[in-house]
Amino acid sequence: MRTLGFFLLYKVIMRYFLSWIVGVKWINKEHLRGKGPFIFVSNHNSHLDTMAILAALPAKQIPTTHPVAALDYFGNSRLKKKITRFLTNAILIDRNRDSNKQSPTNRMVNYLDRNHSIILFPEGSRGAPEQLQHFQKGIGALLDRRPDVAYIPIYMSGMGKVLPKGEKVLVPFVSYVIVGEPRKVKASGVEDIVAEVTAAVRSLEEALKEAIRTPSGE
Amino acid sequence: MNYFFSSRFSENQEVITIISIILGVLVFATLLFYALGRFYPIPKINELKQRTRSWWVMATLFILATVLHPMISFVAFGLLSFVAFRELTSISKNIRPEDRKAIFWCYLAIPVQYFLAYKGYYNLFTIFIPIIMFVWIPFVLVVRGETVEISRSMSILPTQLMFTVFSISHLAYLLSLPELQGFNSGGRGLLLYIVFLTEMNDVFQFTWGSLLGKRKIVATVSPNKTWEGFLGGMLTTVLVSYFIRFLTPFSITESLVTGLLIACTGFVGDVIVSAIKRDNGRKDTGTIIPGHGGILDRIDSLAISAPIFFYWVYNLYYAV
Repeated sequence: MRTLGFFLLYKVIMRYFLSWIVGVKWINKEHLRGKGPFIFVSNHNSHLDTMAILAALPAKQIPTTHPVAALDYFGNSRLKKKITRFLTNAILIDRNRDSNKQSPTNRMVNYLDRNHSIILFPEGSRGAPEQLQHFQKGIGALLDRRPDVAYIPIYMSGMGKVLPKGEKVLVPFVSYVIVGEPRKVKASGVEDIVAEVTAAVRSLEEALKEAIRTPSGE
Repeated sequence: MNYFFSSRFSENQEVITIISIILGVLVFATLLFYALGRFYPIPKINELKQRTRSWWVMATLFILATVLHPMISFVAFGLLSFVAFRELTSISKNIRPEDRKAIFWCYLAIPVQYFLAYKGYYNLFTIFIPIIMFVWIPFVLVVRGETVEISRSMSILPTQLMFTVFSISHLAYLLSLPELQGFNSGGRGLLLYIVFLTEMNDVFQFTWGSLLGKRKIVATVSPNKTWEGFLGGMLTTVLVSYFIRFLTPFSITESLVTGLLIACTGFVGDVIVSAIKRDNGRKDTGTIIPGHGGILDRIDSLAISAPIFFYWVYNLYYAV
């Protein structure tokens, strides 16, 4: 029942809403087709980012894919917490770290060990629209613990204009989601892994620019 | 079933004729490129084949939008404006984050404009975007309060609305024109005439330009536009206009002048969009049509030729 609900919500409603009304274009979507678990790593500009990734996943994978979200933002009221968990399967992480609960990395590792996938936005917050921020250490710590899990870099552009931080009205703009190939991390050590993943996302940014720019010869 | 088709479609000989011509041209192009690819492969043959495939899809959608129930036609043209406007604002590098609310108003203007066209409220239809939205958008921007670069946004947004919504809605308004005595195919015929001629003019200019093109007209904007292509295309368009004047109430002279008008205005629309793309560092306005680019890449010529054709025919035959 829940699987059917997810299917309707993401593969039917969200997908066509995003592509027909908002104008989202997915590039190299087929890289998402492999068998998980994966760690999806993406830049973050808008609430629609999570939707755009979930809508592009194969239907079977959606119920076992968990976006990582901030508890203080999405869990500050009980209702919001319930809705977020119910609609997206989110893992809510306490950013303040003063609670004695299990560490965020441990919780994510638990999900990976159950063959579930994780969506991470290592910029931490949606930040200034359409600018790539520094990646936080969390992704490094996670991949350091589970280097055998493949990660998929994703770069998104335009969604920060559609629904930026603090805005309530959605305005359509053509947006792009470019997906990289699944790969295993090569570097070791938290800092180096963060650098490697950042470079992977940045190279997608370049690839996207290349795909839509004016050819010099024409 | 009869509900969905326009009542006059099946008994309208002219409309059936032009649809047959459109399909005939497509069959001819498909066979030609297939044969060329097989026996005499020229460079870019695959792109031409892909373009032809996209033409099939576009022609089918257009014919359906024209012959089905008028309500469907208006919704279809409204969607065309919506996608074209979205492409234009999305590639524009000068749009500020503060312009979002004004852009939202622009989107709201699309259904209003097409409703006015559907109802045939001629006076309101002609002033809604050029006068009312022209004032309303700058006002919304002013209320937002961010004045840095505001004059730029004030000029860009109304222009984009004019180019993609106001102009294209004239195609839809053709369907609301009253019937004329002794002119059988009506607004539907005029719609098929202007779209067929404008798109064919693009194809003719491209073909003559590819075959003979040497002297560039606007090298810094679009290196593919040559005098040979423009003039060759113009002559062919005038000729075709003469032969398909059965769709219009035009006399022979009027049909020749109209062909000339469409060739020139189509060219103008084409180079305007080329210049906008170049300014914003894009090769196409989008990726929606394989081989062509965005919707706007295809309707750029229509954006200028449609309103000019509309007022030309309106003032000749419909103004009382």
